Amino acid sequence: MNRNSEQRQSVNIQQRILTFVTRSNWVLLVSVSLLGLLAASPPFARGIIFGGLIVTINFHLLAKTLKKALNPQQLTSPNVVLVKYYIRFIISGVIIFLLIQQHVVNPIGLFIGLSVVVASITLATMIELKNLFFKEAV
Amino acid sequence: MEAQALQFFIACVTAAGFGIAIAAFGCGIGQGMGLKSAVEGIARNPESSGKVTVTMLIGLAMIESLCIYALVVSLILIYAHPQAAAIAGLFAH
Repeated sequence: MNRNSEQRQSVNIQQRILTFVTRSNWVLLVSVSLLGLLAASPPFARGIIFGGLIVTINFHLLAKTLKKALNPQQLTSPNVVLVKYYIRFIISGVIIFLLIQQHVVNPIGLFIGLSVVVASITLATMIELKNLFFKEAV
Repeated sequence: MEAQALQFFIACVTAAGFGIAIAAFGCGIGQGMGLKSAVEGIARNPESSGKVTVTMLIGLAMIESLCIYALVVSLILIYAHPQAAAIAGLFAH
């Protein structure tokens, strides 16, 4: 009984982190893009917007593919997963290549934009850790 | 002098090539290990599929972003080196 409730709680934390990351990706992208548009040069802002869009869309597609691929009730063919992975990979690689080669974006801005997902995952982990310590302290 | 400038750009391209190769190697191993463990876990306990998938998704996103960073640095070294014009000018004299 106790083990079941621990397991349920663990699943809740996982689901909560995923929901938080999924939402905070967009929130962070919009806020950082606005900040870039207001306070930085156009290539820098373009870098943030394009970088953020690339990783956020990539994350959503990865989530969709993995959820379908690892659901024991309805397993997707491994070939479909592989093809989707490579298509995603090639498209994002080509877009980044063109952005840098054509000097459309500032590389530092692109770097900041590409860090949106990492930042939101770190933020989610820190909030969960804070909750954990706070709950244990109480 | 021009030979030195050429050497600098050859070094940049070599560094970019090795950089992305090493990053892809490390990220590939990391993602493979994560995926292997996740699939083993789900095969042993299919009920834990949701929990394992979420954890793995976050891990894979983190690892993938490392490889994307390496790709960006490599492309910057080849196509948008911040000091390229200055160094080319320095060696041209």
